Amino acid sequence: MKQNNTRTRMAAVLLGAVLAGSLLLTGCMAPTTAGSPHKVALVVKSSETQFFLSMFAGAEAAATEYNIDLTITAPDSEEDYEAQNLLVEQAVSDGAEVIVFSATDYENTASAIDAAAQKGIGIIAIDSDVDSKEVATYIGTDNYAAGCMAAQAALERAQGQLNVGIINYGLNSANGQERERGARDTLEQSGRAQVVQVVHTKAEAQAAKADTLALLQEHPEINVLLAFNEPTSVGAAEAVRELDAADTVFLVGFDTNVETVDDLQTGEVDALIVQNPYAMGYLGVESAYKWLTGRAGELEPTVDTATRIVDRENLFAMDSQKALFAFN
Amino acid sequence: MSPARRRRLPRLWVMLVGMVAGVTAVVLFAVSTFFIAQYRAGMIQSARTASAQACNQVAVTVARYVRDMNEVMDLVQTSMEYEGADRDEFLRDLLRVRSDVVAVTTYTENGDLVDCWSLDHEPRDQILQNLSFDAESAASADSYVTPPHVETIFESYYPWVVTMANRLPGKETAAWVSLDLSFSTISEYISNVGIGAHGYCFLMDRDGNVVYHPQQQLIYSGLKSEDTAHLAELPDGVWTEKTVIYSITGIEDSTWRVVGVSYVDELVDLSVKAMLRICLGVAATVLAAALGTGWVLSRILSRPLAALASAMERFEQDADHFAYEPVSGTREVEELSDSFGHMVHRIQHLMATVREEEVNLRKTELKALQAQINPHFLYNTLDSIAWMCEQGRNADAVNMVHALARLFRISISKGHELIPIRKELEHAESYLQIQKYRYKNQFTYDFKVDESCLDCLCNKITLQPILENAIAHGLDLMVEPGHIDVEVCRDGKDILFRVQDDGVGMDEEQVRHILHSEPGDRTGIGIKNVNDRLRIYFGEGYGLRIESEPDEGTCVEIRMPQVREGEYETK
Repeated sequence: MKQNNTRTRMAAVLLGAVLAGSLLLTGCMAPTTAGSPHKVALVVKSSETQFFLSMFAGAEAAATEYNIDLTITAPDSEEDYEAQNLLVEQAVSDGAEVIVFSATDYENTASAIDAAAQKGIGIIAIDSDVDSKEVATYIGTDNYAAGCMAAQAALERAQGQLNVGIINYGLNSANGQERERGARDTLEQSGRAQVVQVVHTKAEAQAAKADTLALLQEHPEINVLLAFNEPTSVGAAEAVRELDAADTVFLVGFDTNVETVDDLQTGEVDALIVQNPYAMGYLGVESAYKWLTGRAGELEPTVDTATRIVDRENLFAMDSQKALFAFN
Repeated sequence: MSPARRRRLPRLWVMLVGMVAGVTAVVLFAVSTFFIAQYRAGMIQSARTASAQACNQVAVTVARYVRDMNEVMDLVQTSMEYEGADRDEFLRDLLRVRSDVVAVTTYTENGDLVDCWSLDHEPRDQILQNLSFDAESAASADSYVTPPHVETIFESYYPWVVTMANRLPGKETAAWVSLDLSFSTISEYISNVGIGAHGYCFLMDRDGNVVYHPQQQLIYSGLKSEDTAHLAELPDGVWTEKTVIYSITGIEDSTWRVVGVSYVDELVDLSVKAMLRICLGVAATVLAAALGTGWVLSRILSRPLAALASAMERFEQDADHFAYEPVSGTREVEELSDSFGHMVHRIQHLMATVREEEVNLRKTELKALQAQINPHFLYNTLDSIAWMCEQGRNADAVNMVHALARLFRISISKGHELIPIRKELEHAESYLQIQKYRYKNQFTYDFKVDESCLDCLCNKITLQPILENAIAHGLDLMVEPGHIDVEVCRDGKDILFRVQDDGVGMDEEQVRHILHSEPGDRTGIGIKNVNDRLRIYFGEGYGLRIESEPDEGTCVEIRMPQVREGEYETK
């Protein structure tokens, strides 16, 4: 009986020790989540234009805030979807967990994106959407509305019959096509405007300038030009300056850089449709972080970043300053 | 002492574990609540202090910067006294040294640009809108500092600047001189000031315009907002609003103010969570320890007590044959066990004594009764014998005398209480013989005996009182002759005597009376006495059973165990 007692007592002590031990273990295991930072790749169309530089600044701000290892790549040309597909594959093999993507080509980049998504990589589209079901969220401009806005800017500020020339870029870019559609619809509805011709040029200033010169020489009746992205706007403005047609041609450009801002002051450019690339970059990386931390459910399918019209009148209003000029 | 009314408490170890767990939970809850509240207050206080300190440092640095810029302004104003190349040389050197001065400009009273000195940049010919000259402020004061704005006088160069402007006394053309300042010097410093994990400092002016913010571009892009309108209304100091601590410090000689923003929750919640985890851990450990203790206690305390309780129950049910085994456990339990052992011993001893005394008493009583058997019976028998002799029925008289002699011999039996059944039957038959003569053959009798029972022992004078009762109360009153059957047989391990008569019988009242009343003078030993003796000797299961029907007869059954010679000698 005595022996039995000491045995039970020992068993009890053992039981207590095991319980306490397991508790300590679980206590230690719990709060160890901080590890190496998540890898996110930002693959965009270009690293040349002010538009994308602002986007990078936004993306980097979010990467710093959320402790993300961010890599940024872009093809040399905005039309080179094959190079961009290679960059996507490169990002996959470099171990990116999310690709924040701005498509050079709506359809031809889809397979590379689908392949990446197959490997469990999150896809966030910013600025230019891609034809893939794997896109967790699209963050960017409502391009149809932006196109309408461009046409509206010309209709509100130019009198009489409008003969419109459109300087668009890549035929396969969803953004350009949507903007053109919005502009055409708005112009048709006005009843006093007709689209004389649409030029599809490269998203590069020199090519746009040459094509615009040719267009204006062929169609001298054109009194409104719509250019649908940053390089085409610069090129078109240069063409207008070369022809000394600042007073006769009403030019609506897209996006902003120092050249178009200069030209807006001197009159070659008459209005700018300004997007918010900084927000696109920031929100894109922030969404990547949400996707990585199991909050994919919080992501909206589409996030519309604000777009505004800037002309000579409101160029230096506070809101325009904030939208146009990066604070370094 | 009625057990129904006593409230039943749960088992000891259950109570113990419950109590320990309950007390621990309450104490832990109270302590942690108190501690967390104290801790939170302390954390907030230290967060406020840290915030205020960070802001003060920023304020000192920015104040120094403002002082520097005021000195630069003094130098620039002085330089305006010089002429031509000297002035240009001086200002170029100044711009080279002070990299955050973007441009030095002079204006007319109307704000038209007169001169502009800047490295690498020339002002455009047609200035669309000059944000550096604030006509409204110029009209009402001799100096002003603008909120941040974009520098608009250059071509292809649009930095964000703050303009400091002073009126130039006594100048005709150039009435104002201004410095456009970028933030390169202080921005890095302010950006690196952190308060807690996510806190930061920013600079705003008196009207709530953000002058410099580490996340200025986020604010400009509409991704972040700062409620500066509200903050501008607050005086200097530290303000806690819900989860945010704002620390506001004015800057000496300036309209700017430093705002420190830090978050209470991130500082406090982490610690509170950690502490909650510790509390839970402690609670679980204590509960585990309580369970363990309860288990051990049940082993060393409750189980011995339960063993003791069951021993008591067994003792209660069968005190005679209870053999006590001591229970081991804690000293209290062992003391209790020992006491119970003593009690059992004492009770068993007392019970033995009582039984012994009872037996002795009965024996004495029996002897006394035997001694007085029964003068009337003796006189009547002797009268009968005398009468037989007178009648010349000598043989009958001889039988009668023999029977009488046998009766007395057996009833004495050398003082033994137990005699062989053979003898007892002889005794009964002698009695019946005598009575048959006396009652003039008013009844007949028969013996039906299992021969194997004859050598077993029985209490002497067991049958005679019953036969006496049968004759006196059953047959004597009858007109017709009656009959008595005496039967001895085995019934399992017992021996059964059965005395059956066909007399007048008894009702239940009489039966009860016979079984419970002491014998009177007239009657002999008495049926009650027989019954009592059997029970004392052999236990509750043995004794008499009377079945009687009025006008039908009476049957008396006597049950006793088989006792062989030598087995019960001591009694």
